[in-house]
Amino acid sequence: MADMKKILVVDDEPDMVEWLTTFFQDNGYGTSFAYDGFSGFEKVKSEKPDLITLDISMEKESGIKMYRKLHEDKETSKIPVVMLTGVSADFKRFISTRSQVPPPQAYFEKPVDRDELLKKVRELIG
Amino acid sequence: MEHPRRRYSDRIFDALPGYLTVQDRNFRIVAANESFRTNFGNFEDRYCYQVYKQRPERCEDCPVARTFHDGQQHHSEELVTTLEGRQVSVLVYTTPILGDNGEVAEVIEMSTDVTEMKGLHKQLHDSRQKYRQLFEDVPCFISIQDRDLNIVDANRMHRETFGVGYGRKCYEVYKHRTTECMPCTVKQTFSDGLTHSHEEVVTSQTGEAINVLVHTAPVRSENGEIESVIEMSANITEVRQLQDKLASVGMLIGTISHGIKGLLNGLDGGIYLINSGLKKDDRPRIDKGWDIALRNVQRIRSMVMDILYYAKDREPNWEEISAGDLARDICNLITERAKKMQIDLLCVVEGDGRLECDPQMIRSLLVNLVENSLDACRIDSEKPAHQVKVELTELPETVQFVVTDNGIGMDQETRGKVFSLFFSSKGAGGTGLGLFISNKIAQAHGGRILVESEEKKGSRFLVELPRRRPDLAHAEENTT
Repeated sequence: MADMKKILVVDDEPDMVEWLTTFFQDNGYGTSFAYDGFSGFEKVKSEKPDLITLDISMEKESGIKMYRKLHEDKETSKIPVVMLTGVSADFKRFISTRSQVPPPQAYFEKPVDRDELLKKVRELIG
Repeated sequence: MEHPRRRYSDRIFDALPGYLTVQDRNFRIVAANESFRTNFGNFEDRYCYQVYKQRPERCEDCPVARTFHDGQQHHSEELVTTLEGRQVSVLVYTTPILGDNGEVAEVIEMSTDVTEMKGLHKQLHDSRQKYRQLFEDVPCFISIQDRDLNIVDANRMHRETFGVGYGRKCYEVYKHRTTECMPCTVKQTFSDGLTHSHEEVVTSQTGEAINVLVHTAPVRSENGEIESVIEMSANITEVRQLQDKLASVGMLIGTISHGIKGLLNGLDGGIYLINSGLKKDDRPRIDKGWDIALRNVQRIRSMVMDILYYAKDREPNWEEISAGDLARDICNLITERAKKMQIDLLCVVEGDGRLECDPQMIRSLLVNLVENSLDACRIDSEKPAHQVKVELTELPETVQFVVTDNGIGMDQETRGKVFSLFFSSKGAGGTGLGLFISNKIAQAHGGRILVESEEKKGSRFLVELPRRRPDLAHAEENTT
C-alpha cells in the first residue's frame, strides 16, 4: 500500500467530488479532495499528490488561479494536472493565457468519459 | 418751335423703363411715358386709380397723396391691371415736383413691373418651405452644429425627443455629458470635409436610452468653406433590441447545453455509485448514488421550468390564496430534501393572510430561492451545521416571504449581478436563469426581491408582494 498513488480532486461540486474520489479509490488510487482553489493548493503543499484533477469554474478561487500558483512553485510545478470543466469557453480562456503557464497534461470536458479519464490517469502516473 | 432741350427730356421721359406718370393734387394724370401709354392706354382726363385699378375713387393708402402731404418720397407695392386685363405687380416710387413757391405742385409716380421677380421670389419661398418641411418631418433626429459643437438648428423629432437645445452643446443635449465625446464625428467632418458614420447610445430628455446610427456631412458656404455640420441620427433601438433578443436566444441555447452537460455529469456519477454499490453490496454507496441522481433529476425539472418561463412571458393567472398555506406547502416539499443534505429547514409561518397572486409562479419563485439556499449550504465546507429558514411576515398592504441561510454567502460583485440573465456562480451547475426569472415574477406581481448577503456568512432573500393585484388596488385608490 505504501506505493499507492494519490490523486487530489479539486471541485466545488460535492457530488462530483463524491463520485470521482470513489471512482479513483475503486481503481486503486488514494484520494483526497478540496472544494476550492485556495484549499486545493494548501493540500497540494501538505499532501504532495501524484496527480490533480482540477475544475476550472469554482466560486471561491478558480482552477485557473490555482493552476498558475502550482506552476509558480517549484515544489508543485511538476505534478500532472488533469482539467475537468463543463465550460469549453473557460478552457479557451485558460489556453489564451498559455504564455504564462504551460498547458495542462490533459483536459476533459464534462460529462467526463470515465474510461478515458482512467486511461489518461494510468498513462500519467501508472 | 419747340426748344430742342425740352424735346430731349421728353424723349428720355418716354424712353424710361417702367410706368411713369405725373399727377396733380386730384390724382389726375397729366403726363405719362410711352410704356404706360402702351399698357394702360389714353390717360388724358383720367385719374390714377381709374387707370391702374379701375376704381371709382382714390385708394385708401396712396403714396402720391403722402408725397403731396409731406413733400417726401414714398413707395409702396401694388397690384395693377393693364388694358388687356393682365395683373401686374409693381413697386411704386413717388417723388414731388415743386412749384415756384416751393409747394408740391405735382408728383411723379414711377412703377416698376416686378411680376417676374415676385414669381421667382414665390418659387424660392415655396422651395425653401418644402426643404424646411422635409427637414422638419424626416423621421430621424437632425441637428446642425457649428465648430464649437453648438446646436444651431434641429428638426421637430430632435426637439420633441431631446428638448429645444439651440445654443447648447451637442454632447449635453444628446448624452447629458459635460465634455465632448471621443472620437467626435462632427469634428472629424469639420476637419476632413468627409461624411462619417458611427453607432451611439443617446439619452432622451425623459431618460430613455436610444440606439442611433449617426451620419455627419459638411454644410458648405458659397465659397466652399465648411460653415456647419449636419448630423443625422436614425433610431435603431428596435433593431438592436431584436439583435439582443436573438443573441440572448443564442446564449440561452449555449447555457442550456452547458447546464445539461453538468447535469449529465451528475447523473453519470450517481449511476456509477449505484452500479458499483450494487456490485459491492454497499448500501450507503447506493444511497449516495440515488441522492445524486435524484438531485440532478430535480435540477433538470427546475431548468426546464425556467426555460419554459423564459421562452414565454406570460401574464400572472390571478387567484386569491392563503400566503401561509403556500409557505407551509413549500416547506413540506423541501423538508425531505433538506434532511438528506443534513440541513436544518426551519419554517416560521403563522397566520392565514390572503394574497392575490399566480400561485404557480410564486411557488416556483420561492422553491427557487429555497433551493438556492440549500445549494449555498451544501457547498459550504466551513461551518459544522447549516440552516435554511423560511419566514412569512404579514403587513397590512403586503406580505413578506424571507428565506435565510448560513451557506457560503456572496461577495459584493456576485450580489450585484445576482438577478442578471445568464449570471451564475454555480459553475457547471447553474444556468443563470433562476433568479432572473424569480425577479421577473416578483415584478409581474408589483413586488420586489431584496438581497442581503455576506461572504462566508450566508444570505437573506426578502420577497415583498402586495396583497392585492396591483392594477386593481390602483383602480380602487382612484375611485375612493
